[in-house]
Amino acid sequence: MSLLTPDAKTHTDPGAAASGAVIPDQSRAERTTSHEVADFPVPSGREEEWRFTPVDRLSALLSDEPTDDHAATFDVSSLGSLVGEPLAPGQAPRGTAFTPADRAAVVGSANTPEALHVQIPVEQEIADPLRIDVHGNGAGRRSNAHHVIEAGRHSKALVILDHTGSADHVGNLEAIVGEGAHLTVVSLQRWDDDANHLGQHDALVGRDATYRHIVVTLGGGIVRVNTNVRYDGPGGDATLLGVYFADAGQHLEHRSFVDHNAPTCTSLVTYKGALQGETAHTVWVGDVLIRAEAEGIETYELNRNLVLTDGARADSVPNLEIETGEIAGAGHASSTGRFDDEQLFYLMARGIPEIEARRLVVRGFFADVVGKIGVPEVVETVMQAIEVELAQAGE
Amino acid sequence: MSTIEELNPGLKDLGRYEYGWADSDTAGASAKRGLSPEVVADISGRKNEPEWMSALRQKALRLFGKKPMPTWGSDLTGIDFQNIKYFVKSTEKQAASWEDLPEDIRNTYDKLGIPEAEKQRLVAGVAAQYESEVVYHQIREDLEEKGVIFVDTDTGLREHEDLFKEYFGSVIPAGDNKFAALNTAVWSGGSFIYVPKGVHVDIPLQAYFRINTENMGQFERTLIIADEGSYVHYVEGCTAPIYKSDSLHSAVVEIVVKKNARVRYTTIQNWSNNVYNLVTKRATCEEGATMEWIDGNIGSKVTMKYPAVFLLGEHAKGETLSIAFAGEGQHQDAGSKMVHAAPNTSSTIVSKSVARGGGRTSYRGLVQILEGASGSKSSVVCDALLVDQISRSDTYPYVDVREDDVQMGHEATVSKVSEDQLFYLRSRGLTEEEAMAMIVRGFVEPIARELPMEYALELNRLIELQMEGAVG
Repeated sequence: MSLLTPDAKTHTDPGAAASGAVIPDQSRAERTTSHEVADFPVPSGREEEWRFTPVDRLSALLSDEPTDDHAATFDVSSLGSLVGEPLAPGQAPRGTAFTPADRAAVVGSANTPEALHVQIPVEQEIADPLRIDVHGNGAGRRSNAHHVIEAGRHSKALVILDHTGSADHVGNLEAIVGEGAHLTVVSLQRWDDDANHLGQHDALVGRDATYRHIVVTLGGGIVRVNTNVRYDGPGGDATLLGVYFADAGQHLEHRSFVDHNAPTCTSLVTYKGALQGETAHTVWVGDVLIRAEAEGIETYELNRNLVLTDGARADSVPNLEIETGEIAGAGHASSTGRFDDEQLFYLMARGIPEIEARRLVVRGFFADVVGKIGVPEVVETVMQAIEVELAQAGE
Repeated sequence: MSTIEELNPGLKDLGRYEYGWADSDTAGASAKRGLSPEVVADISGRKNEPEWMSALRQKALRLFGKKPMPTWGSDLTGIDFQNIKYFVKSTEKQAASWEDLPEDIRNTYDKLGIPEAEKQRLVAGVAAQYESEVVYHQIREDLEEKGVIFVDTDTGLREHEDLFKEYFGSVIPAGDNKFAALNTAVWSGGSFIYVPKGVHVDIPLQAYFRINTENMGQFERTLIIADEGSYVHYVEGCTAPIYKSDSLHSAVVEIVVKKNARVRYTTIQNWSNNVYNLVTKRATCEEGATMEWIDGNIGSKVTMKYPAVFLLGEHAKGETLSIAFAGEGQHQDAGSKMVHAAPNTSSTIVSKSVARGGGRTSYRGLVQILEGASGSKSSVVCDALLVDQISRSDTYPYVDVREDDVQMGHEATVSKVSEDQLFYLRSRGLTEEEAMAMIVRGFVEPIARELPMEYALELNRLIELQMEGAVG
């Protein structure tokens, strides 16, 4: 079934619009989520959740199509016995934490008949990183994936999802974090320039559990990773970190939605990005909803963008909806700017050449968020990538 | 634990509406309901206006039919466009002196406190609009001699047609949005102001707007042109009686700020809680010009208002100070829009909101730095204060930067009145009520102090004095 043909229902009837029949969503909570492909028409780019994305270049990726032969290779050899039987759509625990919230997520999930199921046993701490390596085997090849990571009660693990090569990839991930468990998920986008990647990463954070989600986006033509968090009880703690570096022609988009639906939970969202080159475009949209029952919670969102050259564009939208006054604290901050000429001048006055000084300033910009990542091999990857990007700019 | 509201019974009065009386309504009952080309043609005919304006109204009406309702913001399904009276004439001709006004209208404005301000000459000029037309108008003679024009918009079109035609719709075209199209089709009244080169109007020009008729739509149109190096401060206030069913206020305000001129526009909006207040306000700033919006939203059922500044010349500056109070059943969806289209421009938005009794405040803003606007700076700060568990506060800022050489910052905080603050003040000998009043006053103070004296008094009446009334 393809819904690429225009659907009459999706067009706004001008008559109905004129008579005032449109009720805008009054809250982020009212956005459609569904497992039915038919509930999500192909976006035109005018929709709130697609308005920054170049959807005209994504028609292949937004179509309801199965995975092409050998589109991507998945290497999960490091997981060993932690991999359970694959999960069909609707087969529990698949769908516990994840409900598609846009067209890309729903077609990706619908076209993944067998989802990878990773189970971290109860009370088990796994020291080595668990790797899921996704390698795209060619530009334009359609790939669909859905991964379910189930962290048992009081377990502890780190999962690294690493994307390389090229493909048209829809990758969904759901993390079910059990009571008191510690789960860290790292998603690395190191695609070739002609890859496109859309994904939705949902987590359900259990009572007193700790969930850390780290997204690092460096490669790919159009990359859009949406991260959503809900809580399954009080005391949950979610940290969402992001680092991105956009070059000429790249569109890197990150959206997060923290649904504070339980009391005394905390969330911290920190995304930092740099841009260089004509038409480099980054988008960050951070939504936080504090429901009436979420008393005593604390949340803060931060986005910083560093624009290094002319012609780049950074969009930054932190949205905050608060339905109760009984909270410990809520806030957000966003800023976009070029790096500080005074800092540059200071360093150059100390005899440091301009290229080196610029590099130091950019490294300093990323230092705090990189410091929070806490995974040595990921930190190394990020710092190396930043060096490479800056070296290219210096040439 | 007792809630803050239980401890402070007076807090409920914060949104209590004191301007809810209705005068006898002979003008309103006879006015036609609904919108059609004939209704628009009838307005044109009554005003005896030039052909181009009649044609523009009809074109705008067609645009209104085509434009969709906003798909974001507040729930506007309660508006029935066919149940609204689009033009209500309340008096035969404009009065030249206060005593000439019909008694019921004069009483209305006496209750609002206008004649006091007039008598004391606290203002440079006063206009009062009742229903669709301006009923009273006065400007100081020395300003008139300097060439300052301050008339109602209908008179502006009649007496200064060339100037009017040059600027009308130049900042907000008819098709800008659905409600701007509606206003262009049925506009009536409002203020037309021209300040010549280098003239400083030292005390504010004022206008009061009042809706008296049930289901009445008020669509005033204000056009302000500040010529090079001039300065003017314009202040408006709005009220309406409380009826069972809803009224609509949909104004358009266009401001042209020329090179090195400065305009300050202050609004204290206190419509009753059954008015949909959907207003488009926009200013353009040439080189070195400054536009300041001071926007107080206290009344109305739903307000959607985002005063905008288009910074078109180098070193132009835009500033918005916004304050919103939302009580039971109210949604204040307010904010500001700053478009940086020239190098070295700067903008500042400061928004403060207080929600109580289940009300909802939303800050919705846009800062856009277009290509070529290098060296621009923008800062947005939003603070919200929640005084109970059932109210709601949202922040939706949009930032769009297309230049590297800029500085852009946004920050928002939401806080409740903390037990610590109350405890601290009580330990200094204040009662809980006094402490509460002091915290709320302190929270809005940065904006309240920007108001001219007489409007600070009005705002005080609306917020601060009512808070203090709770103390006794």
